[in-house]
Amino acid sequence: MTVEYVDAGEAFDHSQLSSLPHSAPDVTRGINYERILQARSEAQNWITYYGDYDGKRHSLLDQINAENVKNLKVAWIHQASATGMIASTSTYAFEACPLVVDGVMFVTGWDGWLWALDATTGEQLWRYKHAIPFDVTLCCANVNRGCAVANGKVYMVTQNAQLVAIDATNGRKVWQKTIGDVRAGESASIAPLVIKDTLITGSAGGEYGVRGHIDCWDLETGEQRWRTYTVPKPGEPGSETWPDDGEAWQRGGANHWVTGTYDPELNLYYAGTGNPAPDFDGEVRPGDNLYSDSVVALDADTGEIKWHYQFTPHDLWDYDSTMEMTLFERDGKKLLAHFDKNGYMFVLDRTNGELQHVTPFVDRIDWGVITRDGKVTPRKYPDKEGEPCHFYPGPAGAKEWTHASYNPDHDLFYVPVADVGATATRRRREFKEGMPYWGAAVEVDIDNMAGSVSAFDSHGEEKWRYRLDMPMAASTLSTAGNVVFAGTPTGEFMALHAETGEKLWSFQCGSGHHSSPSTYMVDGKQYITVPVGWGGWLEGIMPGMSGQGHGAAVITFSL
Amino acid sequence: MTTAQEQADLLAAIGGQNKATMGALLGTGSIAKATERADGTMEATIRIPEDAMVWEPAVLILPHAGTVELTIVNDDKNTHACLLPSNGDKKFIGLVNHSKGRATLELDGPGYYWYGSPAGNDEGRGLTAAIVVTGEVPPEAKLDRPAQPRP
Repeated sequence: MTVEYVDAGEAFDHSQLSSLPHSAPDVTRGINYERILQARSEAQNWITYYGDYDGKRHSLLDQINAENVKNLKVAWIHQASATGMIASTSTYAFEACPLVVDGVMFVTGWDGWLWALDATTGEQLWRYKHAIPFDVTLCCANVNRGCAVANGKVYMVTQNAQLVAIDATNGRKVWQKTIGDVRAGESASIAPLVIKDTLITGSAGGEYGVRGHIDCWDLETGEQRWRTYTVPKPGEPGSETWPDDGEAWQRGGANHWVTGTYDPELNLYYAGTGNPAPDFDGEVRPGDNLYSDSVVALDADTGEIKWHYQFTPHDLWDYDSTMEMTLFERDGKKLLAHFDKNGYMFVLDRTNGELQHVTPFVDRIDWGVITRDGKVTPRKYPDKEGEPCHFYPGPAGAKEWTHASYNPDHDLFYVPVADVGATATRRRREFKEGMPYWGAAVEVDIDNMAGSVSAFDSHGEEKWRYRLDMPMAASTLSTAGNVVFAGTPTGEFMALHAETGEKLWSFQCGSGHHSSPSTYMVDGKQYITVPVGWGGWLEGIMPGMSGQGHGAAVITFSL
Repeated sequence: MTTAQEQADLLAAIGGQNKATMGALLGTGSIAKATERADGTMEATIRIPEDAMVWEPAVLILPHAGTVELTIVNDDKNTHACLLPSNGDKKFIGLVNHSKGRATLELDGPGYYWYGSPAGNDEGRGLTAAIVVTGEVPPEAKLDRPAQPRP
C-alpha cells in the first residue's frame, strides 16, 4: 500500500525564523548626490564610505571628546556569527565601515552578508544574505569593506563579483549585475561609491593574473556607463611600459579594490591601483607596468584617465597602492596625500598629479629608496630564481588597506603603521587562468614586528607616535572632539588624544580589529561604532597573530 | 596505485552509517544533473533515503546559473530539515518523517554550494550535499583579453 507523503510545503526565508521585523524606515530615500556632497556637514550621519568624498575619515561631532572619552561605555553589541560551510572559512574577517542614516545602520560582513540595524539599540531590522560559492577564488580573504546608500537603496558587491541593489526598507534585492569573471580569478570586496547618478566599483584578483578595471554603473538600473582598464592594451597610452611582444599586459593585475576619493569641482575620481602580476617575478614583465601601484585620476563621467602617478614603478614587492587618497588643501593648493605600502608618504597636486614631496613614515625600509623629489632606487628584490630575498616592509606594506584619518584643525594624519619584513624567493610558474600567479614563495616574518598609530603633518613631519609591539591593521577615526579612535590586533579599541597621542581610554573587544570605525548621532547622543572580527590575509599582515581566532561583532559605544 | 575497484570498496566503507566512520563522509555519494525547462528554469529532486543520512544525489549539477526548483523528499523514518543557499536569504524547510516539499533557489554561477539538514548533527553524519553550478559568467562580465590557458 502506498502511503501519501506528508506535505512539507515550500521552503521559506530562514530569517522568518527570527525576531526580525523585516522592515526599516525609508531613510536612504532622500540620499542623493547633493546630499553626499555635503556629507560632513550632516555629522549626525555617516552616509558614504569615508564619511565624505575627501577620504578624511574626520567627523565634526564633538560630544565625545578628549575630556569625557574616559566615560565611554558599550551601548550595544550586534553578534553577527558565522555559520555553515563558507568560502575560505579560515580567513573571514569583519572589514567593513558601517554607514548610518537617520538612526539606521547598514553594515556588510563576509560571505554576502548585509545587516540593517537600529543604530540606537543594535536591533536587527532586516538582513540580506547573498549565496556565495564555496569555491570562489579569493585573495586574500572572505571579506567586504562596506556598502553605499542612495535613492531608497543599499548597494554592495559580493565575493563572487556581483553588484547588488537592495531595497533599504526590507532587504529585498532590486537588481543584480555580474561585474567580474570568477573563472578568471576575479572577486570583489570594495565599498561602492555613489557619484551623481552612478556607482563606482573596482575588481579584486591581482594575485591571479587578471586585468584590473574600474567600472561605473547606473544607480537606478545597474546599466554599465563605462569601464576603464588599469592595464593598457598594446597601442594605448601606458602600453609602452609593458613588453610589446608579450602577453604580460593580459595578466597585469593593477586592481582597484579599495574605494577611491572624489573631487566634485574637478570631477575627478582618485583610484588607487594594486600590484602588477605576477607579484614578485618582474622578469616576465619588464618596464614600469602602468597603471599598477598608482593613483589614476579618472573623469567621473567618462572614465578617461586624466593623469596618473606611480608610487612603485616595476613593483617586485607586492606594494599595492589601493589605499585611500586623502584630499586636502594647503596654502590654497588642492592636494592629495597617500601613505603607500612601500613605506613612503606622497603628497601630490591633485589637479595634475605633480609631486610635492615624499617622506618615509615607517622605521624600516630597505627594499629601496625614494628621494623627497620622487626618484626611486630599488635595492633589494627577488630577482634570482630560488634565492631568498628579505626586505622591509613586507608584502602587506607599511600600511595595509586600512585607512588613515586626517584632522584639518591640526593638519595631522593619523596613520596605522605596520613595521614587519618578509622573505620572497622567486619561483617562476607559467600562467594558468584562475590559479595563483605570484612568482615566488613568500614568508612574512613571524616575529620582530612592530607598529604604531603615528601622527604626521601634511609636510611629512612626525608629531607623535603611539607604539605597539605589533603592526596596526585597522583604520583610524578622527573627530572634532580632539580624539583619534583606533583598534589593535589584540582587541583593544583605543581613544588617543589628537594632539599628543596620549591614550585616554580603551576597551577590550575580545577580538582583533581589521575594520573602519565610524561615528554618528541619534536623538542628541553621539555613538562610536566598530566592527570587530579578526581575520583577513593574516599570513601576509602578521602571521604571528594568525592563530588568534575570529570574532564577528559590531560594538557600539556612547557616554 | 589504488585500483578503481579498490577505490570503490574503500569509498563504500566510509560511505554509510556506522561503518568505518560514524557517519557518511561528505562528497562521496551519488551524482546527478538537473533538467531544464524551455524557459531556462531548472528542476531536480533531492531525497533522503531510509537510514542513510545522506542526500541523493550528493552532488547535483546545474547547467547554468539561475533559478532551480527542487522537490525535496524525506523517505527516512526520522525527522530532518533542509537549509539551502539562495540569493537574498537561505531557504529553510522542515522535513518530518515521510514528507515531501519544494524549494525555489536563485544561484549565481559558476561555483558550488553546500547545503544540509540543520538538525542535530545531521550535517556531520552525512546530510550535507553540494549543488554545482557549471557554465561561464555572462559575456559582458568577461575581461577584455585573448582567451587564456586554463589548468
